Amino acid sequence: MSEIAAKAPTRTRRRPFVSRLVPYLLLQALIVIATILGLRLLQPSDPEDFALSGFSLREDGTTRAVTLPHFTSSRYSLADPPLYAGTFTFRSGDAGWSVFLPRFSNAVEVAVNGVVVLDSRRDANANRQDRNTPQIAAIPSSLLHDGSNAITVRLFVWGPLKGFLDTVYVGPDAALRPAFETRTLLFVTLPVVFSAWQSILAVILAIMWLMRRHEPVYAVLAVAMVLGVVQAFVSPPVPPATPSRLAAVLLASAPTESALIVVFSVLFFGWRWPRYGALLFAPGLIVFVVGLIAGPPLPRILFLVLGIPTVGVCLLLMACVTAAAVVRRQDAASFTIGCAVTIVLTCWVHDMLSVFEIMPNERTFLSRLSYSAMLVAIGAGLTWRFARALNQVDSFAGQLVARVREAEERLKASFAREEARARAAALANERTRLMRDLHDGLGGQLISIVALSERGQEGATITDAARAALKDLRLVIDSMDDIGGDLMLALGSWRERAAMQLRPHDIALDWRVATPQGLPLHPELRPWHVIQIVRILDEAVTNAVKHAAARHIAVTIETHDDGQGPYGVISIADDGKGFALADEGMSQTARGLRNMRSRAARCGALLDLTSDASGVRVRLQLPQVFPDSDAAAG
Amino acid sequence: MTDQGETGETVTILLVEDDAPTCWRLQDALVKAAYEVRTAGSLGEARSALAAGAPRVLLTDLRLPDGHGVELIRETRRRFPDTEIMVISALGDEESVISAITVGATGYLLKDAFPTDIATTVRDLVAGHSPISASIARFIVRRTQNSAEPPPGPVLNTAKLTPREIDILWGIAKGFSYAEIASHLGLSRQTVPGHIKNIYRKLEVHTRSEAVFEAVQQGLIKL
Repeated sequence: MSEIAAKAPTRTRRRPFVSRLVPYLLLQALIVIATILGLRLLQPSDPEDFALSGFSLREDGTTRAVTLPHFTSSRYSLADPPLYAGTFTFRSGDAGWSVFLPRFSNAVEVAVNGVVVLDSRRDANANRQDRNTPQIAAIPSSLLHDGSNAITVRLFVWGPLKGFLDTVYVGPDAALRPAFETRTLLFVTLPVVFSAWQSILAVILAIMWLMRRHEPVYAVLAVAMVLGVVQAFVSPPVPPATPSRLAAVLLASAPTESALIVVFSVLFFGWRWPRYGALLFAPGLIVFVVGLIAGPPLPRILFLVLGIPTVGVCLLLMACVTAAAVVRRQDAASFTIGCAVTIVLTCWVHDMLSVFEIMPNERTFLSRLSYSAMLVAIGAGLTWRFARALNQVDSFAGQLVARVREAEERLKASFAREEARARAAALANERTRLMRDLHDGLGGQLISIVALSERGQEGATITDAARAALKDLRLVIDSMDDIGGDLMLALGSWRERAAMQLRPHDIALDWRVATPQGLPLHPELRPWHVIQIVRILDEAVTNAVKHAAARHIAVTIETHDDGQGPYGVISIADDGKGFALADEGMSQTARGLRNMRSRAARCGALLDLTSDASGVRVRLQLPQVFPDSDAAAG
Repeated sequence: MTDQGETGETVTILLVEDDAPTCWRLQDALVKAAYEVRTAGSLGEARSALAAGAPRVLLTDLRLPDGHGVELIRETRRRFPDTEIMVISALGDEESVISAITVGATGYLLKDAFPTDIATTVRDLVAGHSPISASIARFIVRRTQNSAEPPPGPVLNTAKLTPREIDILWGIAKGFSYAEIASHLGLSRQTVPGHIKNIYRKLEVHTRSEAVFEAVQQGLIKL
């Protein structure tokens, strides 16, 4: 049981690994086959009708018959180059003949009837082994005569590879040129296009790295691209010209470049760069140093021995890294780069076979050309990664927005709850105050009406009680209205009620507002403040009616300011006979006065009451700010 | 106290009130002031009373057993433009008074007013003065201030009011007398009641069918 349990996880872990690797490897095999087939199909065809393959070769003092394409031995001295001599038949009347050399290494000098018509050493790029540059030259018609003509080809070889001369074609220019142009397009124009693309990629990567210094992967790739571009555009020195050592060294930068690409892939797929990984740069460094110190041919030999295998090793490493990345990550970028590596590796193997003459006919080097597949893949991979990063940023931003909105909603909800609670609390407070008020005023008056009517009382007493109840009800309703802190609006209604109350008693109400604006505004004014103030005023007027026998009641509304902000003063003066303050605590008047004082205290107002023979004067000084809580309620 | 019109004719009043004691009380007060009072206890009775002829003044309660006083006011205003219409209100609550104003009432009377005040109010109304209370003035002025959400209550077309009229309403709301308002605003004391009557007239909204009728009459709409 336990054994099975222990095995189960390893098996489940291994199974997807195998199930992913095998299809990937099969696919790579398919790509290898497709590449080989593609190379076969894309092989440029030459005009076989005008092929010259039978030549006599004079080499090292001996002459022998050879058949082109032909390899000669590798040599480093240009003193006595191999000379191929042949003949071709010219028919007069054919206009414009040319000689066409599809492939040779390293340089050729072609002479027709002893006159040199082509010297490839003038075109430096034509002499690079890794380019498969073709050459064509028109033969001046004056050189040609009917029948057999002599052609000689001098092959300059400067190692380390063997010299190579493909079949030579001589014939009408119109027949040869299409083949030449096809080769030019494939092996000259196309690499230039790829190099341009590579340089653009280098610039983009450099900018990327400048903006994102913490990602050295871009810098590594940019350096690799720059090396590739320099290598593509630097002109190779042609012996016997004095060689620029730096140029020679730069030409040998391929191992360094491929090592950089390996570094890139390792970083790109998020692996840690191994400590001994620096060894990968050793061959490139050795070629570089030797190239700077010693002159040719040593760097070239070293390049052949160290550089090219390094490129192969790097390609193999890349293949492994990408395969692992495909298995582990299964993303588009690793898959694309993996396929590109396979193509380049196939072409590299092809080149190696060509070098070792296992594929004898051709010496067409394809590594450089196929490297463009890798560039495309890298460009695509980077773009893919960039787009994915953008998507991630987008979704992250979206998540943030959603989260902020969520938080906002929650906040809003809690705020609304809080507000509702505060409103409910305020309402409850208001209701409590109102209830108490109604209980004190309206309730009492209605009970007194009930009592009076039960005792069979009729007339004035019940009427007075009922009127008082109605007045109180109006007062409460009025005070509940929103007056926006303007006490004058409450006083306006009160004036009407007081005037109505006083009219049957023939008491004149003198109303004087000292300022047209009336009283200062109090935003903190609440209905219960208004009720208290109006009740105080009511009480004062009622006292004047009931007890003072007044003929006039003067209400004065003033605004004072003692420097600490304005405050209102309401004075009520009657011309009655007054009352003795001494009997406070005994009569109904006294109870009324006590009530007035406590109401004034509740809303922070000062009540001042004076009474003498000329009348009663009530002075109510309002607070600058009305108190919020009903502190003095008890 | 004789409260007759200037022509010397008796002022006729139609009093519509379903509560008998209240009705008696108001009737007594008015009869004592030498008005000719007819009473109706319901909308139906009021309509048949109106069919008999237009009263000079219509005094109506709003909550009637068979309908709303607003209907009666609207009909009366349409049929008898010269009739003064007054609402009888229990507490002077602004909403019902103002909804009556919007259909054509030009005054209101508190049910518990003293008999002399009842007679005075009717006399003033016949003389062309509309009574207005501080709380009703306040209510109207509030509606002239544009607030984000419309306050509850009847819709008021306060846009027609002039700044002067609004100032007058403010003065009334704050308890100033007509004389004080007139002196604050630089008006003659006699013009203030006229302004108030105007305010009442302006607040009267015509029903939609009336608006269409008027538009057709004026050739604004072709049917």
